[in-house]
Amino acid sequence: MLAEADLYRLLERLTDTHRVVAPTSSPSGEPVFTLFPFPAERLTVATVRSVEPLKAFLFAARQKVADGFDPPPPGADSKPLCLVGVKACDLQGLATLDHVFLGGNGDRDPFYARFREQTLLIAADCAAPRPTCFCVTYDTEPYPEAGFDLGLSPVDGGYLALAGSPKGEQVLAAHADLFGPAGPVQVEAQKSSRTHAQEVVRRNLEEHAVPHHSQLDGAVERAYESPLWEEEAATCVECGACNTICPTCHCFLLYDQGGADAFARFRTWDACLLKDFARVAGGGNPRPRLWQRLRNRFEKKFDFFPKVAGHHACTGCGRCIDTCPARIDIRRVLRKAIDHVSRA
Amino acid sequence: MSAEPNPYRSIPTQVTGVTVETPTIKTLHLRPAEPIGFLPGQFVELMLPGVGEAPFTPSSHWADKERMDISIMKAGRVTALIHELQAGDTVGVRGPFGKGYDLDEFRGREVLVVGGGCGFAPLRSLMYAFFDISSELKKLIFCGGCRSPKELLYREELDRWASRDDLDFRLTVDQGDDTWTGPVGVVTVLLHDLDIHIPEARAVVCGPPIMMMYATRKLLELGFAEDAIFLSMEKNMSCGLGKCGHCRLGTYYCCVDGPVFKYSEIKNLDGLWD
Repeated sequence: MLAEADLYRLLERLTDTHRVVAPTSSPSGEPVFTLFPFPAERLTVATVRSVEPLKAFLFAARQKVADGFDPPPPGADSKPLCLVGVKACDLQGLATLDHVFLGGNGDRDPFYARFREQTLLIAADCAAPRPTCFCVTYDTEPYPEAGFDLGLSPVDGGYLALAGSPKGEQVLAAHADLFGPAGPVQVEAQKSSRTHAQEVVRRNLEEHAVPHHSQLDGAVERAYESPLWEEEAATCVECGACNTICPTCHCFLLYDQGGADAFARFRTWDACLLKDFARVAGGGNPRPRLWQRLRNRFEKKFDFFPKVAGHHACTGCGRCIDTCPARIDIRRVLRKAIDHVSRA
Repeated sequence: MSAEPNPYRSIPTQVTGVTVETPTIKTLHLRPAEPIGFLPGQFVELMLPGVGEAPFTPSSHWADKERMDISIMKAGRVTALIHELQAGDTVGVRGPFGKGYDLDEFRGREVLVVGGGCGFAPLRSLMYAFFDISSELKKLIFCGGCRSPKELLYREELDRWASRDDLDFRLTVDQGDDTWTGPVGVVTVLLHDLDIHIPEARAVVCGPPIMMMYATRKLLELGFAEDAIFLSMEKNMSCGLGKCGHCRLGTYYCCVDGPVFKYSEIKNLDGLWD
């Protein structure tokens, strides 16, 4: 058991060794990751997933990957990160990033690998899922089950704390003075809070007729020729926000800057919805139409990744639904794909 | 500093010379500061410092790790600037990446190589490898085509190939000129009267996408099996590591699983020839 005020103290202490980033409340209701320290009343650890996906910290939006011809500038001088209030959906998203950057295709990415290994992940229950949340469809619970260092469940006056790794156990041991014993009341409160969150997400699933992930197997592939892609792309403005905000979208653009004397290579997030994404020199483009690129996004998430990595590259976090200015709803698209298959 | 190698770092490489091959193609002669070994068909990312990278398959002998030739057609932003390079300039090379041609697929067989235009560049490296193992090949046929004699890559070298005993060499151009005495027409015209036992043979096709499409169709029509046709695909390869996502082809990344594919592996993919 960790009292509310003691969590704040723990984060203060962790700043000695880490750059602590924790969720703070925002007017939209979606927490925003903020670099500690900030006033205690802004800390909102266990409500719902943050605006930003975790990739913003582990696979930076812009990263220098080579400095001239010299070996890398991996930024080893900065303190390791401590990410606080990480939700189960985002932990699930790391499975896709790990596959891409830690060797699913052979080479490791040294930058991602360093951030991933050094980062301390303090996870927390999602006690207040948003209307766009649909994690349960992927059999992910709205509370962390694995892949974290320390887990927090909100109960009256504070949090139930659980170590999820040796790194988390070390934190518990080093700051034992902040943690007290938990009783059956707190355990019961954790259980009822978790059940409540599950029910909220399940109601979302019913309301939007969200298909269970087992129905998704092969659906996008079989709906390849469906008119649904053109229908859905009709309002798309090609902003790429769905790519940018997605916890599993990993595509990036390498670019070089400078002159012959001093130059550097950077990588920045790219978006497959954008027209030139797959264009080659001379102008050839395998996906010149916007609807082809929209379809490609679904193909990558629901056909490519299941085949190469064994999981759908979607966590049900709902960020793309909240973000899309054209109201393209991933739940509706998937339902249409399944309907197309069942009609065919 | 991380001890882990950085796959995004280029090896500094000196331009030792530039050969003007055709009005749109130049060959860079390169000497990398660290030896770079590659297999025929693999590609490298060539970098102009501060400008950017582009993928190319070397055209030199794969066993020479100290030097590398890359023939480059002016086609986009980076290649236009590459064409301004001169001897003494420094560029960067990253790689090699991907899977090249597995020579064991060809040993003991009759082999047909079909090349078009700029496709001669990667094929030259493969032909050097075939010449090295020519005693192990039952037969080697090269059918090449390009738009006009002026646009023919490695013309003097091709003349020497024409007189080799271990090679059945054929060349055609879409449009002839005063210097041209050979056949006229697209490369598929050369595929009609081949002395080859197709059920046992292997074919390699490399060139512009439209040429590869027609050549592949022709080979299938002639009876080549789908898994006996080896294509060298050109997509937007960038990182070379299967991570940046640009060159995905179905469940493959061209940069890791290709660029050389059997036709049977990729035949159903949308946008294959685009």
